[in-house]
Amino acid sequence: MRMNDRTENLLLALPGLALLAMAFFLPIGQMLVLSVSGASGLTLEHFSRFLSDPFYLNILWRTVRLSLIITVICVVLGFPYAYIMARVSPRLRMWMVVAVILPLMTSVVVRTFGWMVLLSRNGLISQWARDLGWAERNFQIMHSEAAIVIGMVQVLLPFMALSILGVITRIDTRLEEASRTMGASFMGTLRTVVLPLSMPGIVAGSLLVFTLSASSFITPSLMGGARIQVLAGLVYKSVTQTLEWPFAAAQAVILFVGVLLVLIPYVRVSTPRHG
Amino acid sequence: MVKAVPPWLRVASTLLVALTVLFLLAPLVVVIGVSFSESEFIAFPPKGFSLRWYEGVLTSNTYLASALASLQIAVLVTITATLVGGAAAVALHRGKLPFSRTLAIVFLSPLVLPTIIFAIGMLMFWSRVFGPVSILTLWLSHTVVALPYVIRTTLAVLAESDPFLEEAARTMGAGRLQRLWFVVVPQCVPGLGAGAFFAFNISFDEAVLSLFLRKPDLTTLPVQIYGQLEFSPDPSVAAVSAIMIFLTVLMMVVIDRILGLQRFARS
Repeated sequence: MRMNDRTENLLLALPGLALLAMAFFLPIGQMLVLSVSGASGLTLEHFSRFLSDPFYLNILWRTVRLSLIITVICVVLGFPYAYIMARVSPRLRMWMVVAVILPLMTSVVVRTFGWMVLLSRNGLISQWARDLGWAERNFQIMHSEAAIVIGMVQVLLPFMALSILGVITRIDTRLEEASRTMGASFMGTLRTVVLPLSMPGIVAGSLLVFTLSASSFITPSLMGGARIQVLAGLVYKSVTQTLEWPFAAAQAVILFVGVLLVLIPYVRVSTPRHG
Repeated sequence: MVKAVPPWLRVASTLLVALTVLFLLAPLVVVIGVSFSESEFIAFPPKGFSLRWYEGVLTSNTYLASALASLQIAVLVTITATLVGGAAAVALHRGKLPFSRTLAIVFLSPLVLPTIIFAIGMLMFWSRVFGPVSILTLWLSHTVVALPYVIRTTLAVLAESDPFLEEAARTMGAGRLQRLWFVVVPQCVPGLGAGAFFAFNISFDEAVLSLFLRKPDLTTLPVQIYGQLEFSPDPSVAAVSAIMIFLTVLMMVVIDRILGLQRFARS
């Protein structure tokens, strides 16, 4: 049998395409359909139910707000870490990479458990805060928005550090030397040379961190407790506890569209217009 | 001294790195610490030293059953994701495909789409078309999530391969299958190997899909831990979690040997 290169490559890609069609694209399509289906045909009732109830809108707002805070903290911690990681000796870099990848490859459930121990009423950190007189007797960080932010930043920081690192290692160090020779201070060089050139990595990392943070529910629901809900946690609850699938599908669509709405202008604004 | 960094900045950056590393590793250290504790209650720093919680885990039917389920799924996922992803990577690398750019985006899209959206769709689609979820549902959906990682590691290795080797084999009269098996596959091996370990690690640690697609007789290890954390965690959860951390360390060492972590970090 004769076949050409195209056919051979298509045959190689076919199992993957079939798998994605069956177990990725069709399921997403099913979810979209379900989100607009009611007792009598097409309907937008699930969307209007969500968007007209202050309870749900509050949860949506909290999700967006926390995701933004988490993204900003990840940039602030991730950029210097990535820059230092790119400029230290290979040996030290290896250990800094390990410190990022080991948590990244550990199950989210396990990492959240560690924070639950540290931030609970009897945990080390709550205890320190009380001993130092910063907090009252019953103080604990668990079950607060701060707890969610701490847990999520630890979960997502590796993504940020790695995407910034990917860009910084490609920056020509001679540019920095030139800037220093011309009289710029170290911080000045960092601000006017390294930071602008790292922008693609910062943007990519922020997109990833924002999306992941808006759509995660395991860490938020364990750290925040039952009172402080986020959108993804609500979706999980609607699917597994109240069993309102079309409503859950609508929430998932809102989550997805919300993520896109924030991301599109962000990409527009931060993409460099030249070069 | 053009390259000089002000001393205060040196101190500040050392401090910053140390604190960030501490922050990143703290939860893991805490979990491992608690797992060796002697006391009935979860406390850090741990009180005393004992292996009783490990003993408890290794003799508990619930934990062993979920460990077995996790292992079974992870092995299935590793095999399918490596085969299917490797083949797709070869096709994408050669680039002679209809719509090859679109296809590349399609294959990497599970990386970008939040897992929860795909998980809820999978649950709805599966229960409508095939009936109740089963181990097959988890197998397929974990494979979808692992696929992009295998494709990326394999593509990374192929990018450094010599394109003329296949050309040479063709000129010497090797058939398509011979070229694939004797020329392309050997070049892919490091990428496939690293991808396989990623796939295993992803499936073994995955919790979102497993929570949405769970049923009473199909509980993976992360789901089991999540359930315990929601209600009444005791140090045995820490022992299971610590075992998972040790497994991750093992995986990392292996991936480093095959592909080099530095390279993974940069790609």
